[in-house]
Formats: sequence, C-alpha cells, structure tokens
Amino acid sequence: MPHINPNFSQEIKQFGAKDFEFCFNCGNCTAICSLSTASESFPREMIRYSTLGLEDELKSSLKPWLCYYCGECSSDCPRQAHPGELMMSLRRWITAKYDWTGLSGLFYKYIAAYIIGFLLIIAGIIAFAVSKDFDQEVIMHYGHYFEMFAIAGVFAVILVPNIIRMWIYTIIKPKVKAPFKSYLNAFSELIIHMFTQKRTLLCEDTRETRVRWFEHLILVIGYLTLLFTTVFLDWFGSHNLFVISLGYIESAIIFVVTFDFVLKRIKKKSELHKFSHPSDWFFVIWLFFMGITAFMVRLFIDINIIENNFWLYLLHLIVLVQWAIIIVPFGKWTHFLYRSFAMYFAKISGIKIK
Amino acid sequence: MKKQRIGVYICHCGGNISDYVDVEQLSKLIQAEEGIIISKDVMFACADSNQKDMIQDIQEQKLDAIVVASCSPKLHTHTFRNVAIRAGINQYNYTQVNIREQCSWAHSDTPMDATIKAYGLIRAGMNRVSYSEALENVEIKTHRAVAIVGAGVAGMRAAIDSARMGNHVYLLEKDFFVGGHVPHLGKLFPTGEDGKEVVTKLYNTIRQMPNVTLFTGAHLEKVTGSVGNFTVEVKISPRYLSANADPQKIHRVFSDCCPESSNPLLYKDKEHRIMYKSYPEALPDIPVVDVERLQSNVAFYEKYKDIFDVNQQLQLLKLNVGSVLVTTGFDFYQPTEGEYGYKQSDKVITLPEFKKLVDANSDQLIYNGKPISSVAFIYCVGNRQAKGENKYCSRQCCTATIHTSIQLHEKFKGVKAYHVYRDIRTYGKQELLYRKSSQLGDIYLKFEEKEPPIVDCSGKQPLIKVKDYLTSKKEISFDTDLVVLVTGMVAREDRTEIASILKIPIGSDKFYNEIHPKLKPVETVITGVYIGGACQGPKNISESVQSALSGAAKINALIKRGTIALEPIVARINADACVWCGKCAEVCEYDAIKSVEFNGKQIAEVNGATCKGCGICAPVCQSDAIEIAQYTNNEIESMIDGFMSKADIKEKTVDAESHEEKKAGMKEYPHVWNQIVTLLDGQKLTIPQISEQLGHESNVITYHLMTMNKYSVVEPAGLDDDEAYFYYKLKK
Repeated sequence: MPHINPNFSQEIKQFGAKDFEFCFNCGNCTAICSLSTASESFPREMIRYSTLGLEDELKSSLKPWLCYYCGECSSDCPRQAHPGELMMSLRRWITAKYDWTGLSGLFYKYIAAYIIGFLLIIAGIIAFAVSKDFDQEVIMHYGHYFEMFAIAGVFAVILVPNIIRMWIYTIIKPKVKAPFKSYLNAFSELIIHMFTQKRTLLCEDTRETRVRWFEHLILVIGYLTLLFTTVFLDWFGSHNLFVISLGYIESAIIFVVTFDFVLKRIKKKSELHKFSHPSDWFFVIWLFFMGITAFMVRLFIDINIIENNFWLYLLHLIVLVQWAIIIVPFGKWTHFLYRSFAMYFAKISGIKIK
Repeated sequence: MKKQRIGVYICHCGGNISDYVDVEQLSKLIQAEEGIIISKDVMFACADSNQKDMIQDIQEQKLDAIVVASCSPKLHTHTFRNVAIRAGINQYNYTQVNIREQCSWAHSDTPMDATIKAYGLIRAGMNRVSYSEALENVEIKTHRAVAIVGAGVAGMRAAIDSARMGNHVYLLEKDFFVGGHVPHLGKLFPTGEDGKEVVTKLYNTIRQMPNVTLFTGAHLEKVTGSVGNFTVEVKISPRYLSANADPQKIHRVFSDCCPESSNPLLYKDKEHRIMYKSYPEALPDIPVVDVERLQSNVAFYEKYKDIFDVNQQLQLLKLNVGSVLVTTGFDFYQPTEGEYGYKQSDKVITLPEFKKLVDANSDQLIYNGKPISSVAFIYCVGNRQAKGENKYCSRQCCTATIHTSIQLHEKFKGVKAYHVYRDIRTYGKQELLYRKSSQLGDIYLKFEEKEPPIVDCSGKQPLIKVKDYLTSKKEISFDTDLVVLVTGMVAREDRTEIASILKIPIGSDKFYNEIHPKLKPVETVITGVYIGGACQGPKNISESVQSALSGAAKINALIKRGTIALEPIVARINADACVWCGKCAEVCEYDAIKSVEFNGKQIAEVNGATCKGCGICAPVCQSDAIEIAQYTNNEIESMIDGFMSKADIKEKTVDAESHEEKKAGMKEYPHVWNQIVTLLDGQKLTIPQISEQLGHESNVITYHLMTMNKYSVVEPAGLDDDEAYFYYKLKK
C-alpha cells in the first residue's frame, strides 16, 4: 500500500516546484491539457502523487515526459498551483532519480554545486594551459581530443546507464509486458521524436507554439551539426570554405536562438518562462556562450588575430568543458534523450498517447 | 340564526377550473337553491374587478353570507375575508370551497365527475355558511417580559437586545456558568477573538443592564398559561457558599482546594474537586461547591467553615412572562467506544478535546507528555450518515477543523496536518481558510461513507489507511501522532425535558422544529414560544446569534403592543351540558382546558389564547358539551347533507361560440390582461420585456399570457435574437 511521505513536497520544491500544494483537485489542468488523454491523464494525477509523496508511482511514470509545458494548465488553474511548473520540476526530479551518480540531484538542488563545479573546471583548464606554456597548437589539439572523448565518455559512463535505469523503473519494475519485437517496431518512434519533438505542436495551436517548436528544431539541428562539424570535420583546423561557412551558420543559429530564449526568460511573458530554475538559466546561457565563443574563435582564426588573443580560445574551452561534463550529463540537456526514450517506452508498453 | 341572503361566486380560474368543471351550469343550478340571492360564474374571483363587484353585490343586495368556490383556502381565505370586512359583513360569514385542487385538477380526465363533485362541495359550503356565526377575534393582554432558556452566546445576545427593546428579560442557565460551548472553542474565525473573550464581553454587558435578570443553576420546572401570559416555574440550585463570605477569600480557598490540572482536557472534570468552575475564567466568577465531597473532607470544611453554607436549599421561582425564547444549544457528538479507535486508544480524541489541547499549549504541542508532530483529522464523525441516525451535516465542523489546523501551524512549528474528509464545506467567506490551509501544506484525502478510513492503533503510532478518492481510489496509508475525530453537533441529551415542558415538537433529526424553515424559522407551533440558535439544528456561532436575535425581534413585535388578536376558531363549552368528567382536559395537547366552578358545579373552561381549535376534545365529550367555532354540529351536518344532495347535471357541450363569448367577456379579466393587450397593440414583445414595461413580476405576466394564448387573444411570434424567449403579438 502506498505510504504518504510528508517531506516530499519540500524535496520537490528544491527542484523548482511552486505552490503546487494549493491544488484542490478540481482537475481543470487535466481537462484543458491538449496532450492529456482519457487513459493517460495528467497533470492532476502527478500533482496528487507529489502532494502525497508517492515516489514509486512517480518514478515509474512516463507522464512527466508527456508534457511539453505550454503553460495552459498554469494559467487556468483556479488556485494558482502552477501545475505546469510542477511537471517541469518532476522532470528534473525524475532525471535525478534516473542518474546513478546522484550528481544530477546535487546540481538541481544546490546552485553552489554548480558554481563549485564551474570553478574547478576553470582552475583545471588554466592549470592545464600553464602546464603547456599556453602553447596554442597543443592546447587546441587537446581541445579537439577532449571533444571526442567527452562525447563518448559521457554517453558510455553516464547517459547510457541512466537510460537503462529509466527503462528498469518504467518498464521492468512495473512489469510491463513488452515483447522483444515491439522494441524493434517502436524504434522509428524514438528517432522521430528525438529529432522533431513533434508533440510540441500538439500543444495549444498558437503562433507562439509554432515559433517555439521551430526555434527548438533548428537549435537541435544546429547543435548536432556543429558538434559534427567541429569533431569530425575539425572546423577550427579546416581550410575547406564549405566547412568553415557551415560552422559559422551553425554557431550563429545557436547563439541567436539561445539569445531569444534568454530574453524570453527575462521578460517572463508566458507561463513557460515565468519560473526559471538555475538549471534552466545555465542551460540557455552556456549554450549561448558556446555558440558565440565558437563563432568568435573561428572569426579570430580567419582574420588572423587568434595568436594574440589566445584567451578567447581558453574561454571557449572553459565553456565547452563546463557544458560537456556538467550541463550535458546532469542538466536539462538530458531531457532531449529521456523525452524521446519516454515516447519509445510508451510505444513499447502499448500506452496510447496523442 | 340561519343566513337567508347568500351570494355564491364560482371561479373559472381562467380555464384552470372551467376547462373541466362546467361552472356555468353549476352557477345556474345553485341560483335555483333556497336562500341564494346571487350565483355567478366569474373569470377570476380574486381579480380586483371581481372583488369590487362582490362588495357592490353584498351592499346592494344586502347579502349576509358569501361562498367563493375557487382554489385552496390556503391561497385566498384572507383575500375574501377582507372583501367581507370591506363590504361591512363579518369575515367569518364567508366560506371558501376548493373546486380547483379537489375537482378540476384531481379529476381532469373525467370532467363530468369533477362537475358533480364540485356541485356537492359548493352545496356543502353553501349550507355551512348558512349556519355560520359572526365571530370576533380574541384579544389577549401581554406581559412585557421574556424568559430566555439557555445562556450561551445566542441566549445572552438575545437577552441584551430584548432588554434594549424595553422588555424585562429572565435569562435562565441550567449550568452554574454562562457561555455554553463557546468558551472552550479557543480562537474564533474570522475575528481571532477567543471564545472566552466573547462570553466575557456579553456577560459584562448583561451585568450592566438593570432589566436582565440572570439565573444560573436554574432548571425549568413547569410552564403554564399561554401567549402573553406564561407562568414559568424555575428551580434554582444553590452554590453552597455563604451569602456574606468575602469574595477574595472564596478565591483563595478555591485555588487552595483545586490545584491546576496538568491535563487541560480534564479541567471540567468536576469529579476530583470540592469546589469547581467550568474553566479558570468562568463567569459568574463564583465557584460551586460539591457539597457531598465537602462533607466527606472534614478537615477542609473545618478549615474554611465560614465561607460555606451547606444548609442552602433549592429555591423555587415563579416568573410571569409574555413569551419564551429557547436557546438551549446542542451537544457535540460523542463517538462510541471503538469508533475509529476512540476510547480504545488514548491517541484518538475529538475535535472539542483537541481544541482545548491547542488552547492550553503554548510553544510545543504536548499530549500525554509527548510532543505531537502530526495530526490526522477524520471528518463527518457521527454526521451525514446515509443509513445512520444523524443524516444532516453540522455545517460548522469543516471550518472549525481547518481553522484549528491553521492555528496549529501558527502556534507550533512543523506540525503536519492530514485531513481525511468526505466533502469540504467551508462555505462563504470561510473558503479562504480552506485555501490558506492547503497553502500551508495540509494534506487532504477524500473518502466515501461506504469505505471509511481504518485507524490502526496497534503500533507505536496510529496508522491510518484510507481509500483516497482523489488518488483514483488507491488505498493509501500514513502515520500520525494523534487522530482527531471531527465530531458534529447533535441535539442535546436533555432536549425532551424542555420540549415536554414547552410542547416544542422534535424533528426526526431530534432537534427542535420550527413551523417553516424559510417563512417561520424561529416560531414553534406554540404561539409565544420561540426557538433560536443550535437547539433547532446545526449552526455556527453567527448563525446561532442571528436566529436568536430574530427570535428576540419576533417576540418584541408580539408583546410590544400590549395586546394580541387571535383567531376565534376555538372550542366552546356548553355550561349546562358539561358535567366535568375531565376527559377533554386529558386529551388536550395544549393544556387549554381547565375546570372552573360555575353555578355551583365544576365545568370545563377553554383558554381561548391557548386553544388551537384542533377539535380533539369534541369527540371525547360524553355529554356532547363541546363544539368548535366554525365547525359546529349544525355546520358539519349541513355540509354532509349538502354534499349528498343530487342534481340533474348535464354533460357539458363544447360549442365554438363559447370561446368567442369568453373573449367578449374580457372586461371581467384582471386589468393585467387589458394592460397586456394595450401594450401589444402594433408590436411584438417577449415576456421579460412586457414584465419590465408593465412593472409586474415575470411569473405574473407568464401566467396571464399563457391563458391569453389559450383563448387565442395572443399568439407566439418567433424567437428573439438570443433564441431565449418567444415574442408574443395580438392575434388578429
């Protein structure tokens, strides 16, 4: 029998939930949600589980991932319980549960953890640069290596085990019947959702929704292709005009889109942007830094002033390392993976979603 | 003397009657009867124009009695009594015959039978009115004094206002201290005042009013008399304190004999004390002595002998009052042993007990020496039992509980509250409390009566299991330090004592019953006896005070003029025939019959003010010495004769012309019809528009318009733009 955990509300608040205990269970949020269905209804159920602190029910649920946070539930809540923000917080909390290292939880809960992590990386890179006598070529060479190994390492050591844990929580422990064939059949679902995030468009059909989806789409494409361009086409070292211009476009897309995201979070106009958890800020700001520093580094190379302004590359490297080993494995970046896998698992379990 | 000049008016009720009962034929048949001067069928008997015609008929034809055959007497008795008065004849020389509810409506599928029955009823009414007497209302003198039974907040507040209106008030309290339950409720919503402060304020005001006399320890013994002139007998229990003892010394002795109890729940427990008060600041500020315990503790008695007076006796008082207001209040429901573990575990207590606990602790909530960090409230205990005794909702407990829970958070840090409820009914402004409580993190779980929560007290902490309807009926469990049963209100255990003394009816819910919950909310069937506050049903403090105050106002309106007019439809004794067997007095429910001496023998006498004219005394009288005014033997027998009389009634033939005739008779229709016809000339309007322009209620307009529609005076003319109402226009 599920047992109430009265301290859960305090815990989930550390992950950013606001006032969700104001809820008086009217169900308006569920009724208005365009993604909620009769068999898979949310957010009310999630609010209820959170109020009572039924962690097992929450952990085994894919529902946090079914929400794309249009914010309609929050703006229509008669008690201002911000159900949308609770769903967001549950995504943070649940990724902390998926994460075997426990670091996600630490970062989500304590901003100090982030700052300490960032400072350590700054110190490490400066120390590394000093040890290499600020030799540009060597450092850029290692930088390139780092990119390759970081991607492989983070995937192998953190992300893949975490996705396996997610699978255990949502499929194995609840004893969902899923024949092996269904894993194969549903695979296309994973890829489609990962790259299109098409369910965003099922949210309330407004211009804002379409803009948001489009921005997100080009950001994902820009990000992934820039990764490819720098790692495999060696953008910073390339002399191919096509590769160079491609890199410029991709990095520009990243910093322009993220600049818009940052602005929206500052203006707080829509429900989605009203509450920003530190992890939200770090995500958009670091992505912005990544884009702009990469762009500037290549620009400095092209106009031949990089040698006298090597600090810029070090700055880029710091941002890159912080991004790759803190924000990507333990922050909001993982949502990209978990959300797609949630759709995949939903398909496998035969859950009917929109 | 038999009436010889009778007028009979038979109403069409705009077709309500005449569609089934052949009123024209009846009117002609009745006209032929002996003693009938006028017999008319009229479109609306109650219409102003017809009332005027009736007055004219009565005066011109010198009628001495009238019969109106129309609707229920409940509707228009007073209308036509007034017609009689205005025409200059006695209002009791009029009889109402109901041929709508009893004939046309009841027998609409057999119009011929409806007509035959209507004929019988009209003949009966006609015969009855021929024996009717001119009667005068009974005038009663009233005492400008009020007895208020129960000095809780409702009674005290009513006493203050009744006294301010210029009445003398006798405020009777059974307990030795005033205030009832309120001093024990702690802080009250929404003012945050303490219940004790409220009581102290009221008490101090009462003490300053010369025309309020408060009796504590007062038992209502007997009430005799009737409205305007009741005699209330009261027994006053003594406090056994010497009349000339020094008050300061009394207080010293009181604190000496009664060390403060460490358990606040036991403060009222008189069983351990020689002298006691219901709570430390209880008023009047004089303790009561338990004389048996005092006598068994000789040393204590010897030590303070001079303040005690063990020889005090019960005192019997007789008070003369014009009216009585009962504000005896309620009891909190006491859970039965084992109900949610009550009395089986000391970790299960009731809300009133818990409130005392909250009130008594200051920094940390301690119960039985242990700190309490979580509390589970279980709602609707002993209330809203679909199959049980108490089917009602007690109105105030949701608010009381949530208010207590909020105090819990404000007073003690980190106490978790669980609310296991059925429905939250924090109506009106109290809703804000519910909001606040959830904002403070209280957890709400909803159960249904058929699946109540299970309280398991076998472990270290009580464990509650509940099928939570908010979590798709999942069984959910939680631990708590203390279980608080939210007990509702029930009628007082001693309710029947006062009910039988004052003859107040008790409802199926065991609370005292008013006559009509909406229109006569504080009146009882006994004229002059009023009820207010929670003795008539669950109420919160403000509602209790409101109803008690309305009782006070009603009483003032009743006794202020000095006299009261009562209907003369009462029992009458034939002094020559009466032999005083006493049977009539035995069966009288209202104590209206007494024996008196008359011409050297005992006979029965009826108190016209108390008698309700129910007639129960007449059939038990062996010497047939009792008759009821307006229901005399002559009247009843002649009615039976009238009803049995036969007439040659012919089947009604419907001809096309009759509709036309009716239309021609428009001048007889109420003036509203004419207004509508004038208004609709040349335009179409909806019912709301017509009612607005004519200044009549829309239901009045609807009624007339529908009848006009039926007789093809008007017809619908399509829907309005909002498709909400039909337009109506005149039919060409």
